[in-house]
Amino acid sequence: MRTTHKRTFRRYLPSVAGGAIALAGLLLLASHDAAMMHIQRVLAVASSGILNLFGQDTVVVGTTVQSNLFGITVVTACTGLFITGLFLVAVMAFPTRWRSKAIGVGIGIGGIFVVNIVRLVSLYFIGIHWPGFLDAAHQLVWQSLLIVVAVALWLLWAGRWAYAHAPQ
Amino acid sequence: MRTLRNSRMNPLASLIVRFLAIFVLVLVVLAAAWPVISPTYTKWIAGAARVGFHAVEAPNVSALEVRDGTLWIHRIVGPGQISPFTWFDRFTFFALVPLVALFAATPGLGWVRRMVRLSISLGLLFVIQAGYIVISVQLAYAAMGLSTVGAFVARTLEGWQVLVRVLWDAAPLALWIAFTAGVWSRRLRALRQDRKSTTRGVHHTGIAGLRTEVRKGWES
Repeated sequence: MRTTHKRTFRRYLPSVAGGAIALAGLLLLASHDAAMMHIQRVLAVASSGILNLFGQDTVVVGTTVQSNLFGITVVTACTGLFITGLFLVAVMAFPTRWRSKAIGVGIGIGGIFVVNIVRLVSLYFIGIHWPGFLDAAHQLVWQSLLIVVAVALWLLWAGRWAYAHAPQ
Repeated sequence: MRTLRNSRMNPLASLIVRFLAIFVLVLVVLAAAWPVISPTYTKWIAGAARVGFHAVEAPNVSALEVRDGTLWIHRIVGPGQISPFTWFDRFTFFALVPLVALFAATPGLGWVRRMVRLSISLGLLFVIQAGYIVISVQLAYAAMGLSTVGAFVARTLEGWQVLVRVLWDAAPLALWIAFTAGVWSRRLRALRQDRKSTTRGVHHTGIAGLRTEVRKGWES
């Protein structure tokens, strides 16, 4: 009986520790102003680059993407950090092999980053063409879509990579 | 072989697509109804938050007012005098909509269990949202020097604000995970078993096919 407990403990301890470390990392990152500013700037530059591909003449000033028509400022809540962090906690806490976890980390960070860029670009266009819908799109639609995209990515990872190598 | 590989992917893909479709459908319906739901829900939150403010403030310095679905926090600055301190707009408590949509889209939950778990989650989310109003305003008072806090809290004030914000953002997802993790675990494990048995079936068919071919050869 004690051996079974020990085995269970050994099997799940690294995952629980991984989840706790991911959570601590998220909190540290969120409270580090310079790091957050850097993330916001990266998102602003990437969004501006994509908008310019669509013929929008945007420039980045600080963390604001602006043109003659409209401007959006990327703040901490717009970084998708909390959703990404939660995704990473869920990946790290899942008892599977480390290679699968590394794939999950890549899917989470990459996938949510891409969706967030789509979100910012779409909000820019909504701001120009449909300003009355901007608040609802920003706070209702995209907030919910980010959640469900994160869940769908996690399910994809869990079904495709994690469960295949999870302990029985 | 290609067809077999595709058929192995299908159950997971269809599970995710079905989940996304139901989520989006419920989200659209509830988001359209939100302007109707929001003022009443905000009034309920304000009622619960008022109790929280009375419990943590002595004397009570905060007054709450709901106007057009926006929750205003006023600070009592003198006898019969208040000044606006902050506000929470009509989108602040929207998290309950994705929570309902997540529960609606979760496969493999019976209706009774789904409703019970959703009701408990909504109750907890209500408490978290009312608590968030109280705690975030108290932390803002402390940050602006309007109230005194212990030395430890004062030193780590920014960390507490971040923690409260993270909990607030994570609340709907965390509640849904807590109440449906078992269901998903069973579902994904079943998919894994299906995949294993399909793989075994492939080998089986292969060997059986070979035997048939051999027998045919003998017969011919």
